[in-house]
Amino acid sequence: MRVSDLVKSSQATLKHGKMRSLLTMLGIVIGISSVIVLMSIGASAQQYILAQVQGLGSNLIIVIPGGSGNGRFASPASAQGIVVTSLVQQDVNNLEQDPSVAAVTEENRGQANASFEDNSEVVTFDGVPANFFAVRNFNVTEGYAFTDGDVQAYNHVAVIGPTLAATLFGAGSDPVGQYIEVKNIQFRIVGVLASTGTGAFGVDQDNIVMVPISVAQTQMLGVTYFNDIMVQANANYNISFAQQRVETILEQDHNITDPNKDDFTIETQQSVLSLLGNITNILTLFLAAIASISLIVGGIGIMNIMLVSVIERTKEIGLRKSVGATDKDILQQFLVESVMLTFIGGVIGIALGGLVVGAAWLVITRVADASWAFEFPISAILLAVAVSSVTGIAFGIYPARQAAKKSPIEALRYE
Amino acid sequence: MIEVKDLKKDYIDEGDVTSALRGVSFTIDKGDFVSIMGPSGSGKSTLVQILSFLDRSTGGSYTFLGKKIDDLSDVELAHIRNKSIGFVFQSFNLLTRLSVYENVEIPLIYSDVPVPERKKMIEDAVHSVGLDEKLHVETAKLSGGQKQRIAIARALVNDPDIIFADEPTGNLDSVSGAQVMSILDGLHDAGRTVILVTHETATAEFADRIIRLRDGVIESDEAVKNPRHSKKEFIK
Repeated sequence: MRVSDLVKSSQATLKHGKMRSLLTMLGIVIGISSVIVLMSIGASAQQYILAQVQGLGSNLIIVIPGGSGNGRFASPASAQGIVVTSLVQQDVNNLEQDPSVAAVTEENRGQANASFEDNSEVVTFDGVPANFFAVRNFNVTEGYAFTDGDVQAYNHVAVIGPTLAATLFGAGSDPVGQYIEVKNIQFRIVGVLASTGTGAFGVDQDNIVMVPISVAQTQMLGVTYFNDIMVQANANYNISFAQQRVETILEQDHNITDPNKDDFTIETQQSVLSLLGNITNILTLFLAAIASISLIVGGIGIMNIMLVSVIERTKEIGLRKSVGATDKDILQQFLVESVMLTFIGGVIGIALGGLVVGAAWLVITRVADASWAFEFPISAILLAVAVSSVTGIAFGIYPARQAAKKSPIEALRYE
Repeated sequence: MIEVKDLKKDYIDEGDVTSALRGVSFTIDKGDFVSIMGPSGSGKSTLVQILSFLDRSTGGSYTFLGKKIDDLSDVELAHIRNKSIGFVFQSFNLLTRLSVYENVEIPLIYSDVPVPERKKMIEDAVHSVGLDEKLHVETAKLSGGQKQRIAIARALVNDPDIIFADEPTGNLDSVSGAQVMSILDGLHDAGRTVILVTHETATAEFADRIIRLRDGVIESDEAVKNPRHSKKEFIK
């Protein structure tokens, strides 16, 4: 039997029962569109999260207090909310001496109310040295970033994020020169940061007050250790080498001989990207796996309808066998019908998924005004086509075999 | 063309054996027109099913065009059925969702005839039953007699060696029945072998010879004395 005859015959059968064909396809359409939507949203979320991490800069090494052992996904103790005091000024001083290091900066963070007149807002305050702005590429759009002099003199000056500026002073106003109160200290605003947007996991990075680290440590937090140290690698050195040097210096500082017992954790952009990439991939696959349950349900629907079709067309099977069709011809015919059903269902599902993803993108970018990439991965489309076709074969083979096995005499007698 | 010797067919159902054919022997030559008659349960349907390879015997031997049928696989038998046998059924067995053209095309699909060559073969077959104007009509819209004539066209399209007609007038009025028998008679006159299964004597006498079965054995196998006279009477 020629392929063209198989396709033509299947087309004629599916067209004859249009409504039935459409309803049978529905399960596959829903299944495939769900897979497409979830994979697409997963890919967009991945892009979004990774873009935030890439904003750190490729030559940045972040040192977090607390060890993370050998576990690939283990987080440092400090990231779990445990206070770890292992990173101190001596570490910063020693790191600055190494030729592979271009700059070292550190920070101490906390949360408090920032208020101006009657307006008040819970914010992150970030105590940083003057070089922090340059190392992290934080630009000041109005006023200036505070200086080493301000840090050394314990001046009560602050640079605030644009979200906080808008909340406390109103959109479009110039807060430079005004005073805000944080933790009962009056800070004079000397600058406003350029927007860096919403960070990974939805944290607004623009709702922030940056103050001299000297003031934050002594007058706001009462600590001598740092929440983290950031090392900018010297461009003349390989980042891995610089990372190795940072590790060695800190181990020497902390008298650690066994690297497994490090009381700090080193992250680079690459390692964070790799880790987040793995996590988001697993999440995407997990979501796709859930969505594919509906594909199985759709496949069972196809099998059910095909079995009914085999019974209804028993006499046709008998006739075809009497005029020369072999078991293989009959099997192929029913199999092509079910694959055609799932394939067309898959194509409609891809189109529907594309529409939903497009609509979601419009809502997120226009209504929520967030930066969100429209991701419609080719891999998801290919996977959807392949999965829908395989579903057709998997769930069509049983009814097709039932049809092929029919005895021509019994089939011709069937009423 | 057909030679059966001591043909037997037993059906076994939960240990009970029913013998539908108990040793049947005859030969049919090319160009013969043979009717097979018999009451219900006589074994005539079983005999035709075995002769047309829709079923296999459980004893004896069957030779078709010089080939021992027992030695052939199901796939080989399907190919012979496709190339050498045309069926005309009592209930027409047309696919009503398809047009006349598509119904007549079905045997050609299984003989791998290239699509461009099919058109003329189908048109010739439909022309031979006098329904050219119905070529692209849906078969559901045809009368019973027209349906049976299309079924004959389908049986003829592959130019088979033999036509098996199983009660071809059973579902037709007398006028349509006469038309159908007239076509079968014409095919015989043109040199085609025709085997007709019927329980109506008037229809059976279109043939040159009638084999009568009873209880799985041949009761009589004799020539029709004056087939021409019988035909005229039937058509009247």
